[in-house]
Amino acid sequence: MDIVVCIKRVPETAEAEIKVDSSGKDILKERLTFDINESDNYALEEAILLKEKRGGTVTLISVGPPECEDTIRMGLAKGADQAIRVSNEGFGELDGFATAEILKNTIQDLSYDLILTGCMATDDGYSQVGPTLAELLGIPHAVLVTKVDLQDGNARVERELEGGLLEALEIKLPALFAIQTGINEPRYASLIAIRRAAAKEIKVLNAQAIGLERPTLRTRVENLFPPPVGKRAEILKGGAEETSKRLAQIYKSKGII
Amino acid sequence: MDFDLTTDQRMLQKMVREIATKELEPVASEIDQSGEFPWENIKKLAKQGLLGVIVPEKYGGAGFDFISLAIAIEEISKVCATTGVIVAVNNSLAAYPIYQFGNEEQRKKWLPLLASGEKLGAIAITEPNAGSDVASMETTARLEGDYWVLNGTKRFITNGGEAGIYVVFAYTNKELQHRGISAFIVERETPGFSLGKHEDLMGIRATANCELIFEDAKIPKDNLLGEEGQGFKICMHTLDVSRIDIGAQAVGLAQGALDAAISYAKERKAFGKPLSEFEMIQSMIAEMATQIQAARLLVYYAAYCKDKGMSRFSKEASMGKWFASEAAVNATKMAVQIYGGYGYTKDYPVERFYRDAKIMELYEGTSEIQKIVIARSLLK
Amino acid sequence: MGGEMGKIFTLVEHRRGQIHDISFELLTKGRDLAAQLNSEVVALVLGHGTEEVVERVKGEAHQVLWVKGESLKEPNAEAYQIVLSHILKEYNPFLTLIGHTALGMDLAPPLAASLDIPLATDCVGIELEDKRVITIRQPYNGKLNARVSFADAPAFMITLRQGSFPSEEGNLTGKVVDIPSPLEKEPDYRRFVEYIEAAVGEVDITQADVIIAVGRGIKEKENLALLEDLADSLGGVLACSRPIVDEGWLSKDRQVGSSGKTVKPKLYMAIGISGAFQHITGMKNADTIVAINKDPNAPIFNVAHYGIVDDLFKVVPVLKKKILELKG
Repeated sequence: MDIVVCIKRVPETAEAEIKVDSSGKDILKERLTFDINESDNYALEEAILLKEKRGGTVTLISVGPPECEDTIRMGLAKGADQAIRVSNEGFGELDGFATAEILKNTIQDLSYDLILTGCMATDDGYSQVGPTLAELLGIPHAVLVTKVDLQDGNARVERELEGGLLEALEIKLPALFAIQTGINEPRYASLIAIRRAAAKEIKVLNAQAIGLERPTLRTRVENLFPPPVGKRAEILKGGAEETSKRLAQIYKSKGII
Repeated sequence: MDFDLTTDQRMLQKMVREIATKELEPVASEIDQSGEFPWENIKKLAKQGLLGVIVPEKYGGAGFDFISLAIAIEEISKVCATTGVIVAVNNSLAAYPIYQFGNEEQRKKWLPLLASGEKLGAIAITEPNAGSDVASMETTARLEGDYWVLNGTKRFITNGGEAGIYVVFAYTNKELQHRGISAFIVERETPGFSLGKHEDLMGIRATANCELIFEDAKIPKDNLLGEEGQGFKICMHTLDVSRIDIGAQAVGLAQGALDAAISYAKERKAFGKPLSEFEMIQSMIAEMATQIQAARLLVYYAAYCKDKGMSRFSKEASMGKWFASEAAVNATKMAVQIYGGYGYTKDYPVERFYRDAKIMELYEGTSEIQKIVIARSLLK
Repeated sequence: MGGEMGKIFTLVEHRRGQIHDISFELLTKGRDLAAQLNSEVVALVLGHGTEEVVERVKGEAHQVLWVKGESLKEPNAEAYQIVLSHILKEYNPFLTLIGHTALGMDLAPPLAASLDIPLATDCVGIELEDKRVITIRQPYNGKLNARVSFADAPAFMITLRQGSFPSEEGNLTGKVVDIPSPLEKEPDYRRFVEYIEAAVGEVDITQADVIIAVGRGIKEKENLALLEDLADSLGGVLACSRPIVDEGWLSKDRQVGSSGKTVKPKLYMAIGISGAFQHITGMKNADTIVAINKDPNAPIFNVAHYGIVDDLFKVVPVLKKKILELKG
């Protein structure tokens, strides 16, 4: 079972203050910390678990600048066997389709039974790269996958629908699954594995090496701006004592208590 | 000259930071209040190899250098100084002297147990009547057939109540003064060895700080660490190494306090604007940050000296430990000040940081002892 | 513009006889855009036994294209893709709107790629500027909005975020056109096996009048007790956002949001929940929404009626006390 996992290094934005840079099209990144995208981390863990169960290899691929290599290496330390970084130098702005195109050109010459990606990147939030990549490679796919059982030449997967409902599907391999968070419990790398991974070589490919000088840019961010302040909550002022008292009164007046 | 961490150091830092934030930080206040030894934390860290950071791979460790150990302890101590010192003691006060001064058999026997966390390590130097003045210890060991028979009491032993393996110092020949001290590897199950009073500490409250009592405790002859009479040297060298890690613990704790203070100062408003816009608050933040950075550089430099194989780095280790512990006391004090009344409550971590910081000026040699070490190496 | 002079196609999403709410949001937006373009909106219904679905959406569009077939019984992205790419190639609409749902996320990206047309996903706004299509998206966990434009193309596809567009009743009389299915059987490379219902838990949060929902902000499982106390004081039940289920701290049947339950209680308290859109989808219709969060910029404050910007661990115990006092 040879598995390719596509991972992305993203800024942590859930709890950070996000500001627009002077170009108006990107965010200020100096103060942000970067890490593997959340659902990609689950995809990586799922690949390692499948490898541990059935043998084979795990190959990591990431498109980005040299700084991604620490993120990639952490994946090697957790159990991936080899890694490719596709340098984004010269590509300029990338959207979901362009990224999928780069990945397609990188993966098409590899031998694989399964491709795993996360189901959404927490920075641009496209939810687009995985299923687009599957289409470009001409393999079946499923997104929002919460369970993967491999059989011979087939996978039985469960994917999340709405309202707590799941659907089970049977999909022929090779296939691509975009993994949902919560499918497993991602591990931490051990120190010994970190030391070994630090010395491993990461293959770096550029546009020329993958035969794609200009990825197709189909959408373009014109500008970023703070969400309009619409109907905002009435913010209760004061310390815990005052705000709690006021809220309790509101509950009383609404007949909740 | 290069201030960048190496790839493996950066990765170690990231992994430890992640495990500290996700696993240790949520329980830090709870273990402080209960004082219960955080075995869950220790098991999680052991699984990642953090109990044997500097132990070579062939003895079951991770084989990292001392800068890496300092980084790991710093990251842990940022969220939980208690867990930080437990890990520091296991690495540099128990595993390190056994590696450095033990024979091959001892290394093979004891290091894998310590590095895997199967047994926790502790070191026993201090006594009720012998603190900074190590040579005034009263514990003795006499050889009887195949055993050393130990008598005496050790006090303020970090990890003492929970350890499985202790490095214990005792006089084998009182006549020779400090040249008559020897070091022993003592197992918890040793007949004649029992635990005494458990200390109720002001800070680092869950470190199983305990008295050890030896009453005709029989230690197998093979458990003598190094040569007979080499104990004082082992003790001093080991303390040099461990001072790097106490420095790292202080740097981590101080950084945790600074991070908390910065986020509070930006959130909390007074007189219609965030605290962070008041110059007196800015002054405190600048002072904390600068002292922490200076402390970190001193501590890393001491670790660098050790990693370079320099035979003498006592001065560097003492400089780092002294400066970092004072920076921690100062930074945690300022953090409480910035939080105001809330900082004095158990709703916020800064009061715990403040209590945890003080011990750093006391253990592994008080600030005064560090200054003596530094001055002596300059004036001799 | 497209061959059919700028028609807007919208996919009617339905499953097990139920039409997904997003379908009406798409149709409403579709009519709005069609009016601006002097064009028409077309509803696409695929499936088996979909007479009632077609009946229901007829009045919402100028035309209904109806593809029937047993192989389309369950919405399967790969099967839908074959049928839709066939139709879209033939009709060549200017704009195709699909919901950013479990089905849409599975279907739209490969469909757009196979048609070689630009796709913008998870949009919360669509604007026409000189007949140029601009979409509004919310990257970075909803902390920023982005105006996104398309490269030149004859046709475009957009997936719309649930609950971000109004849903209004249409008053059209759509002509229903039967289209023979190009699909003989379900693709053998992706077969539907079965539905798996969420496990039934001890409480049904959809029936509760008061819901205390917790998120990442509670930091550790042990802190749930504090929130349970608050829920007890209000006679409410505990619910949560996705990360709490991912951590295994509460069971899946307590999850509110697009992949969990949709609730409409009298009082919904979001505590330590930042308010990702997936969560907001499931609770935004509650009568009274109260948010407690340390981050004043958390998107949850955009849907809440009342907010407290503070540390939840400080507020919750005091709030419980005040409630008990007022209850007497």
